[in-house]
Amino acid sequence: MTITQRFLAIAFALAIAMLGAGSASAQKAKIGVIYPSPIGELGWAHELDVGRQAIADKLGDKVEFLKAENIPEGPDAQRIMNQMASENPKLIILGSFGYMNDGLRLAATRPEIDFIHASGYKTTQNFGWFLARNYESAYVAGLAAGYVTKSKILGVVAAYPIPEVLAMINGLTLGAQKVNPDVTVKVVWLNSWFDPNKSQEAARSLVAQKADVLYSLYQDTPEVVSLAEQLGVYVISTSSDMSKHAPKWYLAGPHVNWSKFFVASAEAAIAGTFKGEGYWGGMKDGCVSVVAISHDLKPDQRKVVDDAIAAITAGKFHPMTGPITSQDGELKLKAGEVMADPPLLGINWLVKGVETRIPK
Amino acid sequence: MMDTLMFIVLGTLGATTPLLFAALGELVAERSGVLNLSIEGMMATGAAVGFAVTTLTHSYGLGFLAGALAAGALSLAFGVLVLVCLANQVAAGLAIGLLGLGVSALVGKPFEGNTVPPLPKLNVLGLTDVPIIGPILFGQDILVYAGVALLAILAWIFKRTRLGLIIRAVGEAPTVARDVGYPVIGIRFGCVAFGGLLAGIGGTYLSTAYTALWTEGLVAGRGWIAVALVVFGSWIPLRIAIGAYVFGALSLLELSIQALGLDVPSQFLSALPYVTTIVVLAVISRDATYLRLNRPVALGKVFRSDG
Amino acid sequence: MREGLLNLPRLKLELRTDRSRFAVVGVSLMAVIASFAVGMILLAILGRSPMRVANAFFIQPFTSLYGIGEILLKTGPLLLVAQGLAVGYRANVWNIGAEGQLIVGAIAAGVLALYFDSSNSIFLLPAMIIVGALAGAAWAAIAAFLRVRWNANEILTTFMLSSVALQLLYYLVTGPLRDPHGQNFPQSALFSDAALFGTLIPGARANTSLLLGLAATLICYVFMQHSIHGFRLIVSGLAPRAARYAGFGEARAVWIGLIAGGVCAGIAGVGEVAGPIGMLQRVLSPGYGFAAIIVAFLGGLHPIGIVFAAVLMALLYVGGDFALVSASVPNAFATIFQSQLLVFYLAGALLAVYRVRLIWRSGQVPT
Repeated sequence: MTITQRFLAIAFALAIAMLGAGSASAQKAKIGVIYPSPIGELGWAHELDVGRQAIADKLGDKVEFLKAENIPEGPDAQRIMNQMASENPKLIILGSFGYMNDGLRLAATRPEIDFIHASGYKTTQNFGWFLARNYESAYVAGLAAGYVTKSKILGVVAAYPIPEVLAMINGLTLGAQKVNPDVTVKVVWLNSWFDPNKSQEAARSLVAQKADVLYSLYQDTPEVVSLAEQLGVYVISTSSDMSKHAPKWYLAGPHVNWSKFFVASAEAAIAGTFKGEGYWGGMKDGCVSVVAISHDLKPDQRKVVDDAIAAITAGKFHPMTGPITSQDGELKLKAGEVMADPPLLGINWLVKGVETRIPK
Repeated sequence: MMDTLMFIVLGTLGATTPLLFAALGELVAERSGVLNLSIEGMMATGAAVGFAVTTLTHSYGLGFLAGALAAGALSLAFGVLVLVCLANQVAAGLAIGLLGLGVSALVGKPFEGNTVPPLPKLNVLGLTDVPIIGPILFGQDILVYAGVALLAILAWIFKRTRLGLIIRAVGEAPTVARDVGYPVIGIRFGCVAFGGLLAGIGGTYLSTAYTALWTEGLVAGRGWIAVALVVFGSWIPLRIAIGAYVFGALSLLELSIQALGLDVPSQFLSALPYVTTIVVLAVISRDATYLRLNRPVALGKVFRSDG
Repeated sequence: MREGLLNLPRLKLELRTDRSRFAVVGVSLMAVIASFAVGMILLAILGRSPMRVANAFFIQPFTSLYGIGEILLKTGPLLLVAQGLAVGYRANVWNIGAEGQLIVGAIAAGVLALYFDSSNSIFLLPAMIIVGALAGAAWAAIAAFLRVRWNANEILTTFMLSSVALQLLYYLVTGPLRDPHGQNFPQSALFSDAALFGTLIPGARANTSLLLGLAATLICYVFMQHSIHGFRLIVSGLAPRAARYAGFGEARAVWIGLIAGGVCAGIAGVGEVAGPIGMLQRVLSPGYGFAAIIVAFLGGLHPIGIVFAAVLMALLYVGGDFALVSASVPNAFATIFQSQLLVFYLAGALLAVYRVRLIWRSGQVPT
């Protein structure tokens, strides 16, 4: 044999081997999950994965997963989504707001695949959204913040000015103002879900402006939390308990849990009973909670916080209860009036006391 | 207002240090005639490896060492490509740079989401309590002072020592240097490796001191700014350091402007370092004669050891 | 000459007299095989099954219409941009800013599409292409001007301009061009149908970008191989002083070299926003501008070689996605693979042009 012939023979053999090696297993239902940031040990993506794990725990051998983490919104997400769809899954979980347009387009061409989309607001026959009432946990954290702040300035490092985030800022502000009426809030908009460089710079600039409580709003990694520990200011995170990165200065940990919802969606998708609708889980359904509340709160302060949690969980108290005035001075909710879900879902204003405006 | 200013000045030295190390490293390489465009990748590799080792061993010293060696290894690969395989230096730099970015992402993956306590700040001579200048001059971390020392040493080497002369000879007239008996390839290898070590230290500083975590995109273009700084500084160490300081300050400008409440779009401020680089580059290069006088003559040209 | 301390043999390079096209192709093949081998070893170290990953990377993409469509979809912009870049590289004009030129082209086309969002005209798409090409050319022209007039190194200026273009995009989609009904998310409204490319093959996503890329290949082939202008450019690259003596201006080479890249990148940008993306958003390109640089070199800076290199790079992108989703291989691996390809190619390129000989100290030359 000449060298060329030998080479070709080897290549041919390799190709055959590879063809065989990767054949997929049949019969298991596939579920795809796309995460906007690394799963890691905590953060938004991690909590999505906890939900996914719940599906695995419940349905065991009946499912297998297609996972793609750290996928930014845009052409990468589009490719990955299409990629997953080509494997004919039953359900695809889109873990970020920015996947919406690509997801909708894909859902329209693949009616046999069901989709659930995080932080969205559009539904079709096979496309639903899920959202957490984080404004509830933000309110509770705001109570704590109002108690501990000395400068009466809270700083928020916020991802995007989407309604969900605005509602959370409002929740924080209202909670703080309940126990400390002169509190003001400053916001820095990162325009990214995952930019540790910038988020730290934003945190530093807020501290330079005298904020002594920071709210790391939708930073998936704990860089703002650990920076707060360094700088000696209180800090609240989103999605997960990040207290181990700020043992002394961690104030409260709003926490989100998708297990119940994900399992229900997976079962519906597999059984064929899936309907594209919106899910807005709160403390009442166990989707939202507040953990790791700081021991720096005095007992009577702690009681107020615990009472608020109990009231919201029982459905007796809604943080967006009037009288509430917006930044522009407009009275948005009359005394005793509770904000209904539809306008809250698309909220586009910030309450009085938030000094930063929504970017135009 | 004063607080904001203080905070800017204090932060600048931290932002400057990685740029300074990387740029000075590139200076040495370029002085010997090699244009190394892979700094971004080398810094990223240094950052990831340094962060990983620091997290695992809880030792900053080991972390910095590991980061430097990792970047150094990458620079040796670059050296082989351009000095032995005589590859085009631009293409080789881009290839190794991309490789460095990929390796850093792979190495750093298990450590994403961790933080380490940042490199502790010193209290030199106990003088940090002096108002205003105390924290600035005496309360920085050890690498800031190391950077200043490095600057002084390199300036002295190039101006006054035989080693500096030899390196410069290799970069200006390699054929002559070879004929006189100096191992041109060997010296270039050494300079490129040294540049790699420094880039690795700069990168590790980013992940263990400045931002104190690892993520893809941590280096954020600083490697390229370092290459530009060498041109700005006309291949003179002190000028490069000044350029590095100006850039460190510029990158902090963005949040200071926000802090001052001025309504400038943040993207404009983010673009400012790059626009400034272009403008300064153009201005410095305008005088072609000046450029030619300062630039190592053989920079970027392939050198064949058998002439 | 001073005797060294170590009596190491020296390498002597001899120009090959039997240089053939086959040698160049051979180097590319060697690079592929070498990267492949190293990749498999790396995977084994990482604890992943090399065969499964190789299957995901190289076989799976070809087993479905979807996969083939994706490869074609990716090949389009890579081919287009690489052809433009290669024109400059052959003339020693180093355009590293194709990513930024792509973005600017996309922005220009996007502005047009958004402004005429209620139009049904068949002229909208061609207008978008022209505007995109001009914008990309203009962005590259900045660097050309700075180099020709003020000697500013174009490697640095094009790269910096790339970063500036990105910030410009961020600014526009966060502010002036933001969709008023988009819940404050930084992206523009979706383009109307008149501003979108259709797909070439039903069921697959490949679109007109590919045709444009092939057109560019043809143009570059004719230009480089058969026209006097192409010849001038090549000579300017190989021997600038001789070129100047013969009257081929270096300035001209810089302008043509940079603008060719800018035009191609700009059109590729239009292909992205009028194609799979359909709007302006923060992330428009998964690094095509930089990947195209690798494609240009891997193709030996030759128009036909670049076609093969573009398909290979597209395969790596798509294979990387398959590997990510079905074998959990991190994306970084695809980056490593891509850069390894170029590294091995550069390492081996020497062998296509020179024969390497070992010379022992005693002066004997083993044959």
